[in-house]
Amino acid sequence: MSSKIAVMADPDTVTGFMLGGIKEGYPVENMEEAEKKIEELVKADFSIIITTERIGDELRTTIDRLTGERALPMIIEIPDREGSIERAADPMRELIKRVIGVEMVK
Amino acid sequence: MAQEMIEGVNPTRMELLKLKDREKLAIKGHGLLKEKRNALIMEFFNILERVKGSRENVENKLQEAFEDLTAAQIVMGDLAVKKAAMSVKESVNVDIDSRSVMGVVVPLIDSETSQRTIVERGYGFMDTSAKLDEAAGNFEESIKLILELAEIEKTIILLAAEIESTKRRVNALEHIIIPRLENTVKYIEMRLEEMERENFVRLKIIKKAMGN
Repeated sequence: MSSKIAVMADPDTVTGFMLGGIKEGYPVENMEEAEKKIEELVKADFSIIITTERIGDELRTTIDRLTGERALPMIIEIPDREGSIERAADPMRELIKRVIGVEMVK
Repeated sequence: MAQEMIEGVNPTRMELLKLKDREKLAIKGHGLLKEKRNALIMEFFNILERVKGSRENVENKLQEAFEDLTAAQIVMGDLAVKKAAMSVKESVNVDIDSRSVMGVVVPLIDSETSQRTIVERGYGFMDTSAKLDEAAGNFEESIKLILELAEIEKTIILLAAEIESTKRRVNALEHIIIPRLENTVKYIEMRLEEMERENFVRLKIIKKAMGN
């Protein structure tokens, strides 16, 4: 079974990924739109959703609720054209801290 | 420390046997869960090594790709780039499988991103620049890397959740359930011994009374 991939991000990022060969590109302009779109995409059974770190940071609770502890969908956050942002809290690092119990300098 | 006990048990031999069985089971379960936790943490560390490099790769590749995209937009104009992007054919074919790490089902992405020639991409050459080709190529590679990263990150998240719940169970067994069982067993044993002594004394007294 082939799985579906979608990109939901700012228009430039979406253009880039469409050039790369992903057909399902959904440009969003603001966070309300993004939140609505991401719910739709998850409902539409996309297995992998690519979005930007900026959107990911804003929609953290929504994304956590949608992915939870299930295997699918995978929502992956990538840097946009301005590069990686300084995050208030890196979700990966937080996770590691919670699991191991100590902050790991990495 | 207050001696925690299971409430409402009768100090009988029956209960004692039952409790001893439960204690044995709890200790066995505790050992097994501890092993599971250790194995999971080892797996977790292995995969942590991979995520670091993988994320850096993605970031570098994407930066390159965005630079090319910007260049293409400058040369061709935003709209023309968008038009070209619309006509690109689908290149990614992903199969998602799963494997099991200590009973945790984690995804395995099997992606086929065909490295295409310029002709196969599907946009025209008349109104596009060479930068656009480079951008497209870089984005193709980025997508491949991103899919790898997605797999690794998802695995980490799933493993982390499992480690947490296993840890909680190990701790609950170690610090609450097993001590409680032990204390209750001790209590029953003491009560039974006490009853025996009482009986003994009672017999002695009766004997004395009868003798006189």
